[in-house]
Amino acid sequence: MNYFELFGLEADFSIDLTSLATTYQALQKTVHPDRFAHSSSQDQMLAVQKSSQINDAYQTLKNPVKRGEYLLQLRNTELPEEQSTFQDVDFLMVQMELREMLAEIKFAKDIDTALMSAEETLDIQSRQLWQEFEQLLGQHSDTANQQAGEVLRKLKFYQKLYIELERIEDTLFDD
Amino acid sequence: MALLQIAEPGQSTVPHQHRLAAGIDLGTTNSLVASVQSGLPKTLTDAEGRDILPSIVSYQQDKILVGDSAKALAIEDPQNTIVSAKRLLGRSLADIKQKYPNLPYTFSGNEDHPSIATVQGDINPVQVSSEVLSTLVERAKQALGGDLEGVVITVPAYFDDAQRQSTKDAATLAGVKVLRLLNEPTAAAVAYGLDSAQEGVIAVYDLGGGTFDISILRLNKGVFEVLSTGGDSALGGDDFDNAIVDYLVSEFELQRPLSHQLERQLLEQACRAKELLSSQDSVEVVINHQQQTLTLELSKATLNELIMPLVSKTLRACRRALKDAGVSTSDVHEVVMVGGSTRVPLVREQVGDYFKRQPLTSIDPDKVVAIGAAIQADVLAGNKPDSEMLLLDVTPLSLGLETMGGLVEKIIPRNSTIPVAKAQEFTTFKDGQTAMAVHVLQGERELVEDCRSLARFELRGIPAMAAGAAHIRVTFKVDADGLLSVSAMEKSTGVEASIEVKPSFGLEEGDIIKMLKESVTHAKGDIQARMLKEQQVEAARVVEAVQAAVQQDGNALLTDDELAAIENALAQLTKISQTSDIAQIEQAIKDVDTITASFAERRMDSSIKTALAGHSVDEV
Repeated sequence: MNYFELFGLEADFSIDLTSLATTYQALQKTVHPDRFAHSSSQDQMLAVQKSSQINDAYQTLKNPVKRGEYLLQLRNTELPEEQSTFQDVDFLMVQMELREMLAEIKFAKDIDTALMSAEETLDIQSRQLWQEFEQLLGQHSDTANQQAGEVLRKLKFYQKLYIELERIEDTLFDD
Repeated sequence: MALLQIAEPGQSTVPHQHRLAAGIDLGTTNSLVASVQSGLPKTLTDAEGRDILPSIVSYQQDKILVGDSAKALAIEDPQNTIVSAKRLLGRSLADIKQKYPNLPYTFSGNEDHPSIATVQGDINPVQVSSEVLSTLVERAKQALGGDLEGVVITVPAYFDDAQRQSTKDAATLAGVKVLRLLNEPTAAAVAYGLDSAQEGVIAVYDLGGGTFDISILRLNKGVFEVLSTGGDSALGGDDFDNAIVDYLVSEFELQRPLSHQLERQLLEQACRAKELLSSQDSVEVVINHQQQTLTLELSKATLNELIMPLVSKTLRACRRALKDAGVSTSDVHEVVMVGGSTRVPLVREQVGDYFKRQPLTSIDPDKVVAIGAAIQADVLAGNKPDSEMLLLDVTPLSLGLETMGGLVEKIIPRNSTIPVAKAQEFTTFKDGQTAMAVHVLQGERELVEDCRSLARFELRGIPAMAAGAAHIRVTFKVDADGLLSVSAMEKSTGVEASIEVKPSFGLEEGDIIKMLKESVTHAKGDIQARMLKEQQVEAARVVEAVQAAVQQDGNALLTDDELAAIENALAQLTKISQTSDIAQIEQAIKDVDTITASFAERRMDSSIKTALAGHSVDEV
């Protein structure tokens, strides 16, 4: 059973997160080790396995990047390796500019505005990539899947930028 | 869905019986035990009507004292009277000496497994905790009138693997079954959550004597899902006292170092002043020093000024926890206050302001954790077949492995819902390498030296291959108690090594059996008898569970042949469990397990399908 099937879903990128959460809780109510606290050790072990599997499935389906990767794996698409060199020079230039933008936040006159505008820039750019990703997935061809994998790789760069932004926010407010 | 819970009372194979279970708050300073009786959770008292048991154990020539009687000896006989053993659990000697340089004990044993030398010989902190547990379990047996099915023991959310394992070891020593180790903030949420049937996001703010925990939970139809947890393991009410002491020292113009006696006096006065200022605006502090009487009027405003930086620090941890949970203060429906230090008005005010709502304080903050643990114990023992309650907790700290260059590769990130299993592949870095060292670490930092070392083991017998050709899969599993086990396997050859992460600190393998044999509590009962009883109880549990499963799903999921084989194995087990042959009983249990393995799996899958169809098995 793949993770989508485990949650009774079609293998589709767009999913309803609220109903995902509801299904998750219903499943855990059935298999969680707490339900087997006074059962035999075999049942307890089985419960730990199933419950771990459901947790892993939920974490994968809940997060769009992980869900995207998982879906591409189900389609037998080979994902670009993390370590392989990145060909898209224009994209890398944009990334460097974005890094600079983040690094300069702490020197801004109005830090709140700088933080907000940085977040907006990231939002706009990553939203475009997500649209591109979904559109490619919809084509159901090997070439499109391959390209979707590349887009997903770009989106991971944005994920890292968001993490960096949060880190900056944390350090600025901790002082 | 537990097997026995499904049957209607009328069709049940066994008459419904109330299983005795208790929740234990094993605290640093004080411990409590609580249980659900006639539907209501309450703390259990000793013969003198006291429910709080000071977590103090005094080892005397001819006896071991626990609680108030031990507390009386803390000043007179500090060497043999162990206070706050919880702080020493699962710690190395270097760790202890650095954190608590002024302890009056004489340490013995080795660096990683420190003991305290007493008149009764070397005593491990685990043994001290087990004495406290034994006392509370005994109290519960008396109050409830029988043996306990098991207990839920609470631990700080921030406890690492070594500290959790040590707590469980203490329970084993005390001879009590642990139904679950439960995080203290989660227990507090349960205590409040069930009372008021809340839905939505809850924050639990737990400020004790020495530690601060913040947990963010989402409560939905009886499910408590912990979204994030954070805190500071070295921030608590003791720091409030120290801040006041420092202020007094400077106001009285005293020159440090001061005598232990004077420091003690200052600390006591500081603590008293702090407590009084909860209900009055100012208090007079009086110190007797070198035939002089020093006095000072301490106002609430001054106190607030002194402790404000500490309170702000807790709020920053709250902000981080909210962020980790992906919610904002406006999403928080309720704030639960736990721990004696939340009695300080400034704490309540600041927390209230931060979350923009009045914090919940209706349950005594000293008892709320034990109450929550009792509710969970009642459910886990199987007394609440219709209960919708389920706790989904998380790992507080990331778990990882040492990789090249002294770096830590995280395998399970913090705040992952447990139970969880994750695997990662590694490879050899030298040609012809036949062994690989696995070093397991816990913590958030990138460098090995900044993380907590949990265990080391070696995978040997890897066939010689070119560097990078071997595929070594390392699997981390964290169970519902938050305890880790790690295994490693070379994929092409199937060479395997695994380890129950027996932490580097705490008890060594085999220590428990040795201690059980030596321990006073079990001197009367022979260890063999105890092991036999454990096997017989497990056998009975297996028979009961399989019978109930067959009754419910046998028709739908078993062929006639399978059914006959299962019934045969059960009959065997029932017969053998009457004998006193431990090994044979163990084997018979294994036989039943093997023969029912696929049935158990089919049942689990079928209940998953039922749950997906939108009908919980309890409704069918």
